[in-house]
Amino acid sequence: MPSWPRSSLFAGAMIVLLALAIFPWLGAPVYFVSLLFTVFMYVCLATSWNLIGGYAGYLSFGHVAFFGIGAYTTALLVKGFHLSALETILSSVPAGFVAMLVALLVGYPCLRLRGPYFAVVTLCFAFVMDLLIKNLNFLGGPEGLWLKSMDLPIQTVRAILFEAMLGVTALSIAVAYWTDRSKFGAGLRAIREDEEVAQTMAINAPKLKMQAFALSAFFPGMAGGIYAYYLTYIHTDVVFDMMISILIVLMALFGGGGTLLGPIIGAVLLTLINEGLSTFVKAELARIIYGSLFVGVIIFLPNGIMEFFRRTQGESPH
Amino acid sequence: MNLTLVFQSMFSGIMMGSVFALLGIGFSLVWGVMKVINISHAAFGLLAAFMSYTLLNVWGIDPILSIAVSVPLLFLAACVIYRFLIAPLTKARDIIVPSMILTFGIAIILENLMLLIWSPDPRLLTTAYTSKVVILGPFYFQYPRIAGFLLACAGVVVIHMFLKKTYTGKAVRAAWQQRDAAQLYGVNLRWISMITFGLAVSSAAAGGVGMALLYSFEPHTHNLWLIYLFLVVIVGGVGSVLGAALAGLTIGIITGLSMAFLPYQWVNLLTFALLMIILIFRPQGLFQSEV
Repeated sequence: MPSWPRSSLFAGAMIVLLALAIFPWLGAPVYFVSLLFTVFMYVCLATSWNLIGGYAGYLSFGHVAFFGIGAYTTALLVKGFHLSALETILSSVPAGFVAMLVALLVGYPCLRLRGPYFAVVTLCFAFVMDLLIKNLNFLGGPEGLWLKSMDLPIQTVRAILFEAMLGVTALSIAVAYWTDRSKFGAGLRAIREDEEVAQTMAINAPKLKMQAFALSAFFPGMAGGIYAYYLTYIHTDVVFDMMISILIVLMALFGGGGTLLGPIIGAVLLTLINEGLSTFVKAELARIIYGSLFVGVIIFLPNGIMEFFRRTQGESPH
Repeated sequence: MNLTLVFQSMFSGIMMGSVFALLGIGFSLVWGVMKVINISHAAFGLLAAFMSYTLLNVWGIDPILSIAVSVPLLFLAACVIYRFLIAPLTKARDIIVPSMILTFGIAIILENLMLLIWSPDPRLLTTAYTSKVVILGPFYFQYPRIAGFLLACAGVVVIHMFLKKTYTGKAVRAAWQQRDAAQLYGVNLRWISMITFGLAVSSAAAGGVGMALLYSFEPHTHNLWLIYLFLVVIVGGVGSVLGAALAGLTIGIITGLSMAFLPYQWVNLLTFALLMIILIFRPQGLFQSEV
């Protein structure tokens, strides 16, 4: 990271945030509001994944599970308590906590596994959650769940949810920024480099990993809650889609894992490229180009796009 | 419980499992020897299945014979991919993550090429013997399953003999056990890695044809197969051929039995829950690994 003074960094971030916040009220077409909503969602997901996957090096391939759990929590809260529009948006907070709780329960046994084993066990966890919810009838089962939309014009509804998603995304980036500079983040990096050495240096690795995993589940849970209200219809095939899990990992690593800006750059670029390609090129061809992109980036920039910036600054990658 | 049904589902489980094993062995070898997790492994198998589909429907060539075309072709393709895409990666210290992203990209490319060429319709390899069965006492065996089983057994034996008996195969095992020591003893790691990768993709081709004999397939099917690959490797232990074979059979029997006695939608749930439990308690696999 270039070392700008803290105050100007903060001011810059605030200006960007404000500019984004007023965007949907300027009469932009719904298409662009929705597109930016999707971009924020992936930025939020990739940034929170980065806490455990990037900094600590524990590649979770099941993060879509927390997203889905958040979506279902919100849907169930709305169904159970007949929440108003504002309450529905706020219910994404308990949704985040439920996702966090599940992360704590699952993380306890799973975080003992390392490398590809952790990746596979989290992948399985996402499948188990998906199938479990599909098979439980009170959760809508194979038919899915409906949420009542707000009684407002579509433009306003989208704008309100846009602000909510922007808020969650900004929060997740703020937490990532804090992690990047704190002792907590340094501990996680030490775990990634060598867990045994980290432990001999009095770093409580199991505790740090649990904290990072729980934190990285919280924001996807919230994002899932808001997404459920955005879609107004949720189904396990949509909110537990394996592609989302894989995309999150790819976005973070594409940009550069374990850096603050990497997942943001990766999520923005890949979402926009995907959108652009699927608008202008035949779907299959678009996916082929998309796939070649991964191959190209790995061959030329094995540590993600951020490495390119580091190189030009003359710093060594590690 | 109906004993005949138990045995019947065990037999069909063994036949399915043998094909899982053939599909998984190469994946496990590449992971063990090269530290590369080849996400596109199942996609190559599916490509071979589509090739045999075309050969069957255009020239009437039997799927088993079509392996003689798809295996060498995919072996060559794999060597080229190794040389130009995977070898440049091996300079990095830890290549598991980059290799996963790279091969994920290859899998997307293959999947969409198949969509372009063969369209998203589900396909079935329908041969003259598709609906024929052998009846032995109270049990019956479908011909395609027997064909898949024999193909899988032959494939596993060939790979096992290659690794045990030939010089190249021994070098592959040496590279798996002690990379640096193997290099000191004059094993050319690049060459060995290329052979391993080519062999793995070829076995995926054979396994893919085997899977196509049992199930219908379409260009997205490789994602499902990939999950079975992970199952085989995790249960059998990374890099172990015999482990993968035993794991395939175990998974086949569990799937076969649960298909017979559980509602369909609970079968996959059971499979994944089981995999999670095995991973948590015995990450080294159920069978001690030995190449």
